[in-house]
Amino acid sequence: MDIKNYSDLNGLEIDTLREIGSIGTGNAATALSQMLGKEVRITLPEVRIMGYNEAIDWIGGPETITAGVLTQLGGEINGIMLSVQQLDFINLVLTDMLGNPVKEFNQLQEMQISTLVEVGNIMISTFINALSGLADISISLTVPAFAVDMQGAILTVPMAAYGGQSDYIMTIGGNFICEGKQVPCRILLSPDIRSLNFLLRKLGVMDE
Amino acid sequence: MSEKKLIVGIADMKLGQNGEKLITYALGSCIGICLYDSQIKLAALIHIMLPLNMEAGRKNTFKYADTGIRETLRQMEIRGARRMGITAKIAGGAKMFAVSGGIIGSVGQRNSESVHQVLKREGIRLAWEDVGGTVARTMEFDSATGNGTIRSYGHPEIKF
Repeated sequence: MDIKNYSDLNGLEIDTLREIGSIGTGNAATALSQMLGKEVRITLPEVRIMGYNEAIDWIGGPETITAGVLTQLGGEINGIMLSVQQLDFINLVLTDMLGNPVKEFNQLQEMQISTLVEVGNIMISTFINALSGLADISISLTVPAFAVDMQGAILTVPMAAYGGQSDYIMTIGGNFICEGKQVPCRILLSPDIRSLNFLLRKLGVMDE
Repeated sequence: MSEKKLIVGIADMKLGQNGEKLITYALGSCIGICLYDSQIKLAALIHIMLPLNMEAGRKNTFKYADTGIRETLRQMEIRGARRMGITAKIAGGAKMFAVSGGIIGSVGQRNSESVHQVLKREGIRLAWEDVGGTVARTMEFDSATGNGTIRSYGHPEIKF
């Protein structure tokens, strides 16, 4: 039976989504590890269904400045994927790949921005490739867009996109650990409700 | 000295009176709408996310520009505000990511259009606005004066 709201998901369905998060984030971690030339592991992936204001608290407050790489999913699934990168993550990437960290977001040059977009894009694409292989569905991704701003406003992008369907935002994602330290970067998948039903049916956890 | 501010969340509204300050954080494509009756120093700040309420049952009043503004005016009138004396100041409606078309590309602008239209229909004068662009805004509003400030990353503070 189709769910009408994210909060209608049962335990089995949540577990399945967590497994998707695990495989997707695991693949993204491998990609990140290859790009950085360092070992990257993941923590237990999370599936979260949160109210709007709860989600803003969870990500670390509305006004913290972060970088966001956003792509839209098309094909058999509609949704949004976001890579939310805090300053420490950005400097990890920039130090390893270009050799020059920045003190503030506003010091980012074009070359550094395109590197960050590419890193975000590769992590998102590997996540989606894993998902598409797992569920045997075709998913297309739009060209990634980039923004540096208050993270509250970045996180409201997927909320506004599905706000007409739900009072909640669902995120599937995980945290990365590089050389024993938590890397402040998250990748988040927010599917729309119709796609969520389709995905769960494809994976065989939802009855016809 | 710490001063107490009433925090308005997403899809939320709060009323403040006699010097109470209202604040809402990180308006991206969302719009912050300040309504004020200077006679009785009654202020309202609404944080809407979408232009029109088309949900069955019309719940979640403050998520939408149309139902949010109307419900706020109703509550202000209950507290003694007169429709003729209420003015509006609005900010937000940015485009956070350079995406063309679709809801992500257009929701800020549609929010702005809807807020303008609803204010006009309700007979509320729009006294000031700072909408569009590509940056997030934090909006603060003082019920003592009917004035406020906009904070954005990498831009000077704006007083309104």
